[in-house]
Amino acid sequence: MIEQALHSISQFYPEIVIILTLCVIIVADLIIKSDKPVTGWIMLGGLVISGITILFQAGQNGSFFYNMVVVDPFAVFFKLLLVLAGIFVVLFSLQSKELDSYYTRKGEYYMLLSGMMLGMMLMVSSTNLLMIYIAFEVTSISSYVLVGFTKKETDSAEASTKYIIYGAVSSGIMLYGISILIGFTGATDLAAINDALQNRADIPMILNISILMILVGMGFKIAVVPFHFWAPDVYEGAPITITAILAVASKTAALGLLIRFFSVSFIDSNGLTATGIWQTIEGIHWTTLLGGMAALAMIVGNLTALRQDNIKRMLAYSSIAHAGYLLMGVVILAQEGLASIMLYLFIYLFMNLGAFYVAMLFSNSIQTESIEKYKGLGFRAPLESIAMTIFLVSLTGIPPTGGFVAKLYIFSAAISGGWIWLVTIAGITTVISLFYYIRVVKNMFFYKPESNEGIIQFDLPSKTILLILLVPILLFGIYFSPILEFAKNSVQIFGM
Amino acid sequence: MITNFGYVLLFIITGALFVGVALFVSKLIRPDRPNDTKLMTYECGEIPFGDARIQFNNRFYIIGLMFLIFEVEILLLFPWAVVFKEIGWFAFFVMFVFVFLIFIGFIYELGKGELKWDIPAPLIPRYEENVGVIEEEEKRETVPSAKKL
Amino acid sequence: MEFLLNLTIYFPLIGILAFLVFRNDEAVKWTSLVVTSITFLLSLPLLFQFDVANSAIPQYVTEGSPVFSGMDVKYLVGLDGLSLLLFMLTTLMGPIVILSSWNSIKKSLMGYYSMLLILQTASLGVFASLDLVVFYVFFELSLIPMYFLIGIWGGSDKVRATIKFFIYTLVGSLIMLVALIYLGYSAGAATGVFEFSADWRFISSPEFTLGLVEQTWLFLAFALAFCIKVPLFPFHTWLPYAHTEAPTAGSVVLAAIMLKLGTYGLVRVCLPVFPNAFAEFAPMMAILAVIGIIYGALVAMVQKDVKKLVAYSSVSHLGFVVLGIFAFNTVAVQGAVIQMINHGLSTGALFLIVGMIYDRAHTRQISDFGGIAKQMPVFATFFMIATLASIGLPGLNGFVGEFLILNGSFFSELYANKVYAVLAAIGVILAAAYMLWMYQRVMFGPITNEENKKLLDLNGREIGLLIPLVIFMVWIGIRPVDFTKYSENWVESYITISQEKSTAVLETADSSDLPNWTNRIYDVEESKVESFTSNK
Repeated sequence: MIEQALHSISQFYPEIVIILTLCVIIVADLIIKSDKPVTGWIMLGGLVISGITILFQAGQNGSFFYNMVVVDPFAVFFKLLLVLAGIFVVLFSLQSKELDSYYTRKGEYYMLLSGMMLGMMLMVSSTNLLMIYIAFEVTSISSYVLVGFTKKETDSAEASTKYIIYGAVSSGIMLYGISILIGFTGATDLAAINDALQNRADIPMILNISILMILVGMGFKIAVVPFHFWAPDVYEGAPITITAILAVASKTAALGLLIRFFSVSFIDSNGLTATGIWQTIEGIHWTTLLGGMAALAMIVGNLTALRQDNIKRMLAYSSIAHAGYLLMGVVILAQEGLASIMLYLFIYLFMNLGAFYVAMLFSNSIQTESIEKYKGLGFRAPLESIAMTIFLVSLTGIPPTGGFVAKLYIFSAAISGGWIWLVTIAGITTVISLFYYIRVVKNMFFYKPESNEGIIQFDLPSKTILLILLVPILLFGIYFSPILEFAKNSVQIFGM
Repeated sequence: MITNFGYVLLFIITGALFVGVALFVSKLIRPDRPNDTKLMTYECGEIPFGDARIQFNNRFYIIGLMFLIFEVEILLLFPWAVVFKEIGWFAFFVMFVFVFLIFIGFIYELGKGELKWDIPAPLIPRYEENVGVIEEEEKRETVPSAKKL
Repeated sequence: MEFLLNLTIYFPLIGILAFLVFRNDEAVKWTSLVVTSITFLLSLPLLFQFDVANSAIPQYVTEGSPVFSGMDVKYLVGLDGLSLLLFMLTTLMGPIVILSSWNSIKKSLMGYYSMLLILQTASLGVFASLDLVVFYVFFELSLIPMYFLIGIWGGSDKVRATIKFFIYTLVGSLIMLVALIYLGYSAGAATGVFEFSADWRFISSPEFTLGLVEQTWLFLAFALAFCIKVPLFPFHTWLPYAHTEAPTAGSVVLAAIMLKLGTYGLVRVCLPVFPNAFAEFAPMMAILAVIGIIYGALVAMVQKDVKKLVAYSSVSHLGFVVLGIFAFNTVAVQGAVIQMINHGLSTGALFLIVGMIYDRAHTRQISDFGGIAKQMPVFATFFMIATLASIGLPGLNGFVGEFLILNGSFFSELYANKVYAVLAAIGVILAAAYMLWMYQRVMFGPITNEENKKLLDLNGREIGLLIPLVIFMVWIGIRPVDFTKYSENWVESYITISQEKSTAVLETADSSDLPNWTNRIYDVEESKVESFTSNK
């Protein structure tokens, strides 16, 4: 027992590093009374060390803590993505002026952010329903508080309240679904559930309902239609750094969880076909259901984004649309689909964080988040505006940016699975998305700045971060095979 | 065939029926003579006074939370102590991690001054012309505590 | 030579790096002129070394390895008889375009010239790419610089024009992307080696055929994208806007090169890959083309703005190209290919000329001019040559293309109706009417506007950039064989291949596989099989 526990701990270093970071931040916050954001730097260091320990886990495949947590290539890929997103968000937070007026509470901010990172890392690596739920809640509760961090802004407080209410309801429904599932199969472990389901002759309808309920919880985190109603208000009200992490990391983690949940619990080991997963849970036409959700997300997200003026709100709706594109890959649930989701997530991380970062820089310097106020910025802040243009072009999916490659693979996965109607909808909604992305570019470049508005200066660190985000977008437009190979190897553990 | 969940449902229905029938029957046969004392809210024999919806200091809440945490700690520590001899140093290490994490939380509360029983100056929102309601939050001026008086 | 081809494609892009060093306005202009001139010089050996006898086979091919296992998506560029001349036209237009905006662009020069250089690389890439995914990447890449060229340096109503231009083109190309992926999977299944294949050499070869239903849908998707780009009636509405609002250089590139991407795509992809659908939809496309020819001409006639008139004349002229392509015989397709070059030269020259007069008079309204020939004799000469070339006067380039197209479509088996050619011929007459009428109103008569007396004649730079265009107009007019020889072999062999492919598909096609409505389009058993085989 002791050996196993010790062995488990040796596979748990990334998470332990995060936990220690959290503790150090708490203590440092009490001891160090400095104006400098020491806690932020501590968290940055913790994330970097955690990232390095994750790299050492590459290629491993094993189950720990009595099958509660696994370390496999799939989890490693997602954890790397999350840590990368976390590092960027901390870098953003260090520069955010929005958070500066709450400097006495910076320690709490980074502490909660660490908690959220921990929850998300557990979400993608746990294989037990109880652990999944705990991870889910750790993420949620930290993010509820973070959304309301700028509590003097009424928007922020409102967002936090809305997020808690929606979150509590959906996680309650999810918990109910989980309890029904456990009641039917008598197991909490995903693999054991799979065994139990395969040995059953009949699949009762209530089981289908329980899976639908679990889907509600995950859909809430991914912000996919029809569980998206919280997203715009929360994204708009939250501090922009938190919006970034919600739009990127939280979504990534929930998708990782969704994929693992479906492809481990419901895989039919007798017939390992692309549709094998869905055969174990007959009763509802699952692929059509998920395909319909994806299509709805694309349509609703893109159409509603058209009318937004607040850049955060616009990006929120765009992220709902992107959840739809990502869900297209889940519909396939074969190697192509999953690998293309992972490629998409990887590129999505850079382009979406980039867009949020530029929005934050503009918000820092001209104190506005309104797209209408962006007029003439192309001449006042050329580098940042060009970067924003590239991020938005990539989000649209126009070559030669990474976004194109991501869309190409998602589309081709769906077409190889025969989902032509879905891809057609995706293609048309992409055109719609062009309207609102290009509006930002239009406002930045096609209008002259007012005569009293000079060039905006940005400091060197911000330019460096911008370039770090920008280079991968352009690079992956041309050279992306290593990521794709990595992704393909990562999904092989599901027997695909 | 009734599944296990079916039994649960039956149990709930039966429970509801049982209560409903009992209340209905007693309604039929009991004498009905209300007076003021009978209609008073029951507060463990005390005579209730004032309104129930009053503000009270939310550090009661924090104390309650602290109590809960340490009570749970005791709950875990007790069985641990019973088997400590059999498991040995490993058990010590495990419990050390647990207590350490709780300790960090305690330190934090202590450091942030949440356990000081000072009554903070009440936040009185004041209204100014053309500015609106002003609440000054970060000011932590305290009135002298009861002990000092 | 393979390296030279790649160098030619990417040299403009590399040239942008020079802007990091040469930052002041004069230096930026000169750098971009030098870069585009070197690009042109680099491309010349490609023309001279080209093996004319084997023009059906891509030459100077650079083949990268597939991007990852199982998918035949790779970097694949090369030139063949179809693309060579368009490639050369693009490199030739490079320095001309840079020179044309020498004095007229005043703000953000570095951005402007970077956009032109990116556009140059994108257009060269489209013409040279042989892998359809690479083709798509360059195809889309050409949009973004154009968007900024019109949007930042354009006229008064630029915002609306850019949005319209961008959305129209992108709708088409995204639907094309979906079709492209589907095509790739079908081709991959046919190779047996790959899951996905986008190698044009395989897709267009006789080994790869598609069923009738697939052909129909894929053809419609691809043709929509290309027809929007051409633009064919009724998708043309973005073009006059974009042209009027664009700066001169933007208009020239748009007319001379970017519109050709559409017609080029029709010949490159639709003709050899979907031969049955191509043949079946040919009469419909011909009707649209003829409507485009006559409608474009009639609308051009009533325009008050010279630039808008030239823009509508483009709609009319490109109708000819589409008519020629869908006639599906050697003469007409050959004519269409040469007409693409002709249109690039003559319309490019016309837009340059309009730009020159606009720089001087700051107006483009026909009514503001009159009698300018007396003030600007040299200008009048060049304008006359370009106008006549555009009309299709024998001895100039326009005649060659239009003659071949009309001749080919008159005898086209697919159209089976001579009325298309006859109606298209009316378009030629209308072209003469609106162009000459416009010329007369602008150049002759008394000088009604006092302002126009101050106009100066062309300077050395402007003459210099028009002379090469005029030389080629005359050369193609007198000795077209020097140009048609490059594509002759290509057109012949691919028309043969396509006809063989379509016959093979029709022989094996089972009408029971088809949904009802396609049965009506494809006469699977009957006369079409014979007409195809006899068409050879």
